[in-house]
Amino acid sequence: MRNTYLWFVQLITGVLIAVLLGIHMVMQHLDAILSFFGFNINDPTSWQSMVERSREIIWAGIYIALLAVVLYHALNGLRNVILELAPSAQTERIITWVIIAFGILVFIGASYVPIALLSV
Amino acid sequence: MRQIEPRRNYLGVGGWVWAGNYKLERYLYILHRVTGLGILFFLLLHLIMTTVFRIQGQDIWEATMKILHNPLFKIGEYLVVVAFIYHALNGLRLILQELGFLMGRPTPPIYPYKDSLRKKRPWTMAMIAIIVILALVFFYDFIQGGW
Repeated sequence: MRNTYLWFVQLITGVLIAVLLGIHMVMQHLDAILSFFGFNINDPTSWQSMVERSREIIWAGIYIALLAVVLYHALNGLRNVILELAPSAQTERIITWVIIAFGILVFIGASYVPIALLSV
Repeated sequence: MRQIEPRRNYLGVGGWVWAGNYKLERYLYILHRVTGLGILFFLLLHLIMTTVFRIQGQDIWEATMKILHNPLFKIGEYLVVVAFIYHALNGLRLILQELGFLMGRPTPPIYPYKDSLRKKRPWTMAMIAIIVILALVFFYDFIQGGW
């Protein structure tokens, strides 16, 4: 039963990521076509625009929320791929906890940066 | 009581690639998995770049961006975009089918049987067409951006 809930959350996060990263991809990679239709995007990877964004608390919130959603979707997907090898119940438990620990470590490490940069 | 044999259908790592008489949807499934793992690998690199290199200041960031603007990384970036487009659209197809859409009404099993695959296949083809079109649009923009 537990895996059913994990799978349902996987579907919801999948739709969320498709929308949010879709916007991200269009803004990062379709700048020439967007400027043809009259939307001019200044290079979002330039230092100036990044410093402007990192001072706003709303952007830090967006980054951290997106990080949580993407990490869940990615690591749960990885777990599903590994569990297709049909390991024993004990190995499955070890895999699950290693993946949870890895996810928490990455989340803490990566969400520290937008929070630290707010006051720079 | 009959003993259930565990691991009777165990295929191991080979089962990731080949498990029987494959049709189109099964290849899409393998590609879904490959693109998913590829995006996970990219995500880790992306996180290292936007945290470890970002927090060290302007000089380090601009040196990193200079490396990432070389054509080899640009090709990699384009592959990530295509992998994302594929994974997103195929994932939406899988979600819709899991919730019971795109496959027609259930019919009683009376001969001649109707295969729901006949209803699903045109949607699958439409999805592939959308993926190809989007990949070409993004490819145009990558060339336009001067690599």
